[in-house]
Amino acid sequence: MKKRLLPCLTACLLLSGCSGLPTAREMGDMALLRTLGVDPSPAGVAVTGSTGPRARGVEGEGEPALTLAADRESLSGACLAMQGQSDSFVFFGYVDQLLLGEALAEEGVQPVLDYFSRDAELGLGAQLWLVRGASARDALSAGGEQGLDARLETLQNDSEMGIANLTRTAGEAYTDLLELGCAYVPALSPAGDGGAFLREAGYGVLKGDTLAGFLEGEAARGLELLAGGPSADILDTELPSGPVSVKMTSAQTKSVLVFRGNTPSALKLTCKLEARLSEYRQRPEGEELKELRGELEDRERERIMAALDRLQTWGADCTGLGAKAGMSHPARWQGVRANWPEWFGQVPVEVTVQIGINS
Amino acid sequence: MSKQASDAPHPRREPRIPGPLSLARLEEVFSDCVDFAKREVYLHGDSHRKATVCYIDGQARSERLNDYVLRPLAQDPMLATAPESELFDLMERGALYAHGAKRETEPDPVVFALINGSCALFLEGRDDCLVFPVATEEKRSVGEPENEPALKGARDSFVESLRTNTSLVRRRMRAPELKIREHIVGRQSLTPVDVLWLDGIADPDTVALLSKRLDAIDIDGVEAAGNLEEYLVDAAKFPFPLMPYTQRPDRFCQGLLEGRVGLFADGIPLGWLLPGTIDQFFKTGQDRAYHWLVASALSLIRWLCALITLLVPGLYIALVTFHPEAIPPKLALSIVAAKQEVPFSTIFEVLIMLLSFEVIQEAGLRLPGPIGATVSILGGLVVGNAAVDAHIVSPAVLIAVAIAGVAGYTMPSQDFGNALRLWRFLLTILASLGGLTGLSLGCAALIYHLAGLESFGVPYLAPFTTGTRVPRGHPSLLRLPLPRMKWRDGPIQTQNRRNQR
Repeated sequence: MKKRLLPCLTACLLLSGCSGLPTAREMGDMALLRTLGVDPSPAGVAVTGSTGPRARGVEGEGEPALTLAADRESLSGACLAMQGQSDSFVFFGYVDQLLLGEALAEEGVQPVLDYFSRDAELGLGAQLWLVRGASARDALSAGGEQGLDARLETLQNDSEMGIANLTRTAGEAYTDLLELGCAYVPALSPAGDGGAFLREAGYGVLKGDTLAGFLEGEAARGLELLAGGPSADILDTELPSGPVSVKMTSAQTKSVLVFRGNTPSALKLTCKLEARLSEYRQRPEGEELKELRGELEDRERERIMAALDRLQTWGADCTGLGAKAGMSHPARWQGVRANWPEWFGQVPVEVTVQIGINS
Repeated sequence: MSKQASDAPHPRREPRIPGPLSLARLEEVFSDCVDFAKREVYLHGDSHRKATVCYIDGQARSERLNDYVLRPLAQDPMLATAPESELFDLMERGALYAHGAKRETEPDPVVFALINGSCALFLEGRDDCLVFPVATEEKRSVGEPENEPALKGARDSFVESLRTNTSLVRRRMRAPELKIREHIVGRQSLTPVDVLWLDGIADPDTVALLSKRLDAIDIDGVEAAGNLEEYLVDAAKFPFPLMPYTQRPDRFCQGLLEGRVGLFADGIPLGWLLPGTIDQFFKTGQDRAYHWLVASALSLIRWLCALITLLVPGLYIALVTFHPEAIPPKLALSIVAAKQEVPFSTIFEVLIMLLSFEVIQEAGLRLPGPIGATVSILGGLVVGNAAVDAHIVSPAVLIAVAIAGVAGYTMPSQDFGNALRLWRFLLTILASLGGLTGLSLGCAALIYHLAGLESFGVPYLAPFTTGTRVPRGHPSLLRLPLPRMKWRDGPIQTQNRRNQR
């Protein structure tokens, strides 16, 4: 009898609320926030959340996106204040997109990422974006009744297919900040009438936890090559036989640290790219193909150098070139690891680009 | 009444019919029995030599009685001329044409022989009688197994007649090692119950244990399968069945070949196979008929369906009410949209739908076939659709409950499916109390419970828990190619593990 009583009592205690079990909450009265924006504000922090378009009933009658905003001293205070603004229970567990305003990035992103990492509902799985030249609240408000989540999801999906900028989750960026001391984050800037449309605006580079600067254009493409994930890029060039278009399909960059004694004397990068001829009037062969390859390698090397120049200036090895190279010399790497940002700014970089062209 | 008094064996009178055997005693025993009949016959017309034949009308076949017993009595001149002291010997040894004849001196065997369809012949001035089997063989003919339809294989099934069932087995298992031992169970029903096993393959301890338990059963009658199942297994108070059964002789024989012990009861058209382990309830008679890849895939699907029918309602409640973040966003948005106009809580919705599902199923089973189908369609489609349209339940709940219900129908064993239905309710309630934690606790309790069950000394989860010391025969989830299934399962303690070259 005692053998049965004990499990029964334990089960009763566990299930009767004495165990800290989660409490039940009906989904029918939930507002599922999909996008969250954080900016600095005079009060402390300005948090803006949007649900994206909602549906009501079985037939899914459309309802406009619900946008909530609150300025408080802390993130948790702002989130709590947003709860009171809605007639539904505001649920943060579906926040897939996190927008950080440029001003907040300049002040420091660590508190936000800390909060996301500790909060049970939020987590670090959300995609992280920097809003360049505007606040996250402006960007979210400009999304109007449709919200921004559809646009941001499209960018995310395009990135996975290699046709848009690299995306990063809050967790990836936070990990880089903690391990490398710097991170790159895709940037967006409002465009169109009233900033209703978000377009890609390169990458923001965080050093420490503050914004070091933005990489855009050729430098942004160079960063992608260093990170090993080029967005689908078409390079057009003119050959004697006519114009040729080449599509870059993949890239892989290996880094090697050359030491003199225990100090790094050079950082050698080898970037191997795969490319495909997409348009041509006459298929380049022989010398013409070699000429094409040489020209493409020069252009990609310039891109990498453009990105490296900026990154070295900021002392931000945000693609982890040093850490990857250090794996070949773990003992020596331990010696320079602490001061690697300074070394990274000084060490000469040799870049080799090798392109394989498939038809 | 004290506990000791209620536990005491209720007295059994031995012999059942006391006193000497006589025609008068027999008539006394069968007084107020309208079907008891007797016929007086002069042997070859000799009025000085009178025989009395007793039988039970309806139990004895009149043609046999007339042709094999009464006609020789009335027409054989030898019976009129032979000395009276030799009459019984002559009749016993062939003067009467019945295929058996037995001399009895006690009332008990004569009474039971009459009930079983024999006739008893008394001669004046003697205190014994001759019993001739002239039983009628009216019974349901061998038909198709309705609960275990065969698409590729034998189409016969067991019937209510015990001897027909043993004959169906004997026709397939021609080896003389097939042993059949009979026990009589039930004070009033006196039901013959047969134990079948293959000598040299089945575990003799299991046979002995089964025989011992059968002998220990002291009930009034065996009218339903439960009259045996609930007395033979150790854990009859729990819903999971421990005695797998089949209607199909081919599957029954396969069980005997695997080293299991078979059990038949007269009047119950199925055969049990012991000991019962959990994998037996997922096997069908068709598993060995299909290609091994197809059979393996179907077996995996059945196991998956068991999990689905058990867990889906509880999982739905746990996810929707406790852990919504675990639901994919688009599905969550759809659930939120559909749930907004439903006035009831998700827990209430699921429990009510589960209950409704059971009600509709029960109504469909109880009504005659065509009406039952109509009720099922009305209940399932019309009421379900109307409930969604009226915002009484959300479509996701309907889908979850329907998937769980339909998945339950894939269980080859109805008993096992019923146990899963009961546990589904329990797990749903636990999930509604504690979300995934409650559901996990319930699953742990289920595994603990199953791990504690035994069937005739063999662990219920033996296919998965025998460890390294007991050799396995073959995987339980998959059906290997038959040439590779060379070994009988170790846990059932078969005497000869190798089943092929």
